[in-house]
Amino acid sequence: MKMKKLVSLFLAGAMTLSLAACGDNAGSASNTSTSTSKAPAASVEETKSDDVVAKALANGDKLVIWTLAKDLQKFADRYTEKTGVPTEVVIIEPADYPTKLQTAIVGGEKEPDIVVGEPQMLPDFFNNGFFTDLDALGASNYEGQIVDYVWEVGKDANGTTRAISYQITPAGFYYRRDIAQKVFGSDDPEKVKDIFSSYDKILEAGRKLKENGYRIFASDSELNYFSGDSAWVVDGKLNVDQARFDYMDMVVKLYQEDLTAYAAQWSTPWYQAMSGAVPVLTADLQWGDWGTDADGNTNLNIWDADNFNANAGKYTDTYAEVFAFGLPAWGVLTLRDNVKDTAGKWGVCQGPAYGFGGGTFIGISELSEKKELGWDFIKFCTLNEETADWWIEVSEGDTVSLLSALEKHKDDENAVYGGEKLYAMWLDLAKGIDYSKVTKYDTEIGNAWGNAISKIKTGEATKEDALKEFYDTVESTFAGEIIVER
Amino acid sequence: MRHQSVGYHIKKSLIYLFLIALAVTCMIPFMMMMVNATRDGNEILTGFSLIPSVHLKENWDTVFSYFNLFLGMRNSVLVAIPATLLSAYFSTLTAYGLAFYQFKGNKVIFIVILVFMMIPGQLSLIGFYQLCSKLKLVNSYIPLIVPAIAAPGTVFFLRQYILSTLPKSLVEAARMDGANELFSFHRIVIPIVSPAVATMGIMGFIGNWNNYMLPMILINKNEKMTLPVMMATLRASQDITRNQGATYLSVAISVIPILLVFAVFSKYIISSVSAGAVKE
Repeated sequence: MKMKKLVSLFLAGAMTLSLAACGDNAGSASNTSTSTSKAPAASVEETKSDDVVAKALANGDKLVIWTLAKDLQKFADRYTEKTGVPTEVVIIEPADYPTKLQTAIVGGEKEPDIVVGEPQMLPDFFNNGFFTDLDALGASNYEGQIVDYVWEVGKDANGTTRAISYQITPAGFYYRRDIAQKVFGSDDPEKVKDIFSSYDKILEAGRKLKENGYRIFASDSELNYFSGDSAWVVDGKLNVDQARFDYMDMVVKLYQEDLTAYAAQWSTPWYQAMSGAVPVLTADLQWGDWGTDADGNTNLNIWDADNFNANAGKYTDTYAEVFAFGLPAWGVLTLRDNVKDTAGKWGVCQGPAYGFGGGTFIGISELSEKKELGWDFIKFCTLNEETADWWIEVSEGDTVSLLSALEKHKDDENAVYGGEKLYAMWLDLAKGIDYSKVTKYDTEIGNAWGNAISKIKTGEATKEDALKEFYDTVESTFAGEIIVER
Repeated sequence: MRHQSVGYHIKKSLIYLFLIALAVTCMIPFMMMMVNATRDGNEILTGFSLIPSVHLKENWDTVFSYFNLFLGMRNSVLVAIPATLLSAYFSTLTAYGLAFYQFKGNKVIFIVILVFMMIPGQLSLIGFYQLCSKLKLVNSYIPLIVPAIAAPGTVFFLRQYILSTLPKSLVEAARMDGANELFSFHRIVIPIVSPAVATMGIMGFIGNWNNYMLPMILINKNEKMTLPVMMATLRASQDITRNQGATYLSVAISVIPILLVFAVFSKYIISSVSAGAVKE
């Protein structure tokens, strides 16, 4: 009897609670609908920056920024310094950023005003309505002032701008000028880019470099950013372009003809190759299992610097210098910190295809109550030439997305890269990027394709089997979304 | 006699050698962590040594340019200690109740607890955030501390332990002398099960100290973040290599409280082992 009473009481309680929750939901829904109808649809009249700032200062507003890149904190500090509007920057680890943002925004959190994302996160963020419409705040007035592809990445499927980045990240090849001079007779980027202009020429150059005791690349992942100039999915169908197959064949040949140093990207020898000769492993060595010695220590571990340096000599007596690395524009900083004595001997040039990697895109949370102030901040970070000048200096070589700033700095010379005028080149490369070829399936299809390539090159599977597995993977991962025609 | 003693010595030195090797194996990661805390990112990536380098100050400055390590530590203490104490006390209470009282639904409750042990907490994150946000508990430590009271795993462990070590007659004797139930729980049950509570307490403390997911989701203020959340921000830099040394330094400092707790409470575990041996 008692039990029954308890249960009924509990159920009644649950019902009241859920009713209360419903009522609240309805309230917030009507709220949003009124606010959207108020917003100007097409006419984009902006409140002047000074007025927005004055209003924020009068109200004592604070701009809350949730970011996955520490860099944005410097922008925020600069903004506070210039305008007096206080900012609060919360830095969240990149891998957890989508979880944090999703939980908070779905949970109705109004706190963050500025939210950010990397290119691969953006489509999901846009589809879920986390980022507010920047066109309504005036973004469309600035079309054409930012590098094209960045502007495209920040648009959702309907062409509405929802995020803008302050940087561009086109990919190029970083090469050793002294080796280019010795082997190819010229270190001029305009001439060297011919070496990298097609997969066949890269192979040819690789063979020539090997004959001269060098290796063209440290790893065979250097071409990732240039792995095919076509979309993976066209009209809902999987599209494997001929260039993809050419890329596959080239990677397999690079590997089987021992043209690289067989260092894995981001591993110890890979970094070491930036500053001088590295032990050249063989194909088997790179991924082999070297077992353990009598004391139980691993015989060779390429990810462990001390182990690698101590033991690599037992497996190879070939040392070679590496010619080139393929990285996006931020590689300028990676190399700068690792080249040591070879500083000044590097050059940068165009690759066989256009590509880009990474970048932090800034937007405004849909639930933010300070959207005008947020838009003022975004303009400050991305569309303000003075900020761009300041950032180029502070970041010591990051590449901004504002066209007028790139134009202004096109004659800046970078000493690590033999005085090359990098900004002008990045701008050229960025112009070639066609963002319409990027789909939300890229990461996963790209990984499956990469798996197929490594199986073929190591002889683990025949080309036929590996391709079959690739098609199967894509078909089962995106069942109902992508049609696979073999 | 003499012969035997030579064999004994050989045996003993072999055992010692083995133990020393084991100890070294266990110590080396710690040593490396300490040494790496004094080296900069490029040194860590490109070479190895057990000789400390000169970048301790630099790493220290890097860490503090990202966050205040001591503030993070204080915040973690504010969360981990209450959560551990509450979890230990209430889990023991629940386990005792389930083990010693016969009532309708006892079995059902126990099975429900077992089932909940198997549900990963991450599943309900969004709902939990909404709940906290409705209750105005975002940015508060309450949702990090109070739910620790319900720790199915600990309850399960303690129930089994109580069933196997606590004689019914002890509690019955207390009852006969007029002790009420809560009094006998505090004075008789807790001292007897304290080894198990200490074990679960250490585990719970480590778990709470290292808890990352929930604080990461629920705390939106820099000054309220717990240590693991703060440390993760070292990875939010474009040039991660530079922060390697700083990461090692913050990890090295953050394990100190865990070592302290372990040093204090591990003796309870050891004392219980011998106590049990004598009784049997």
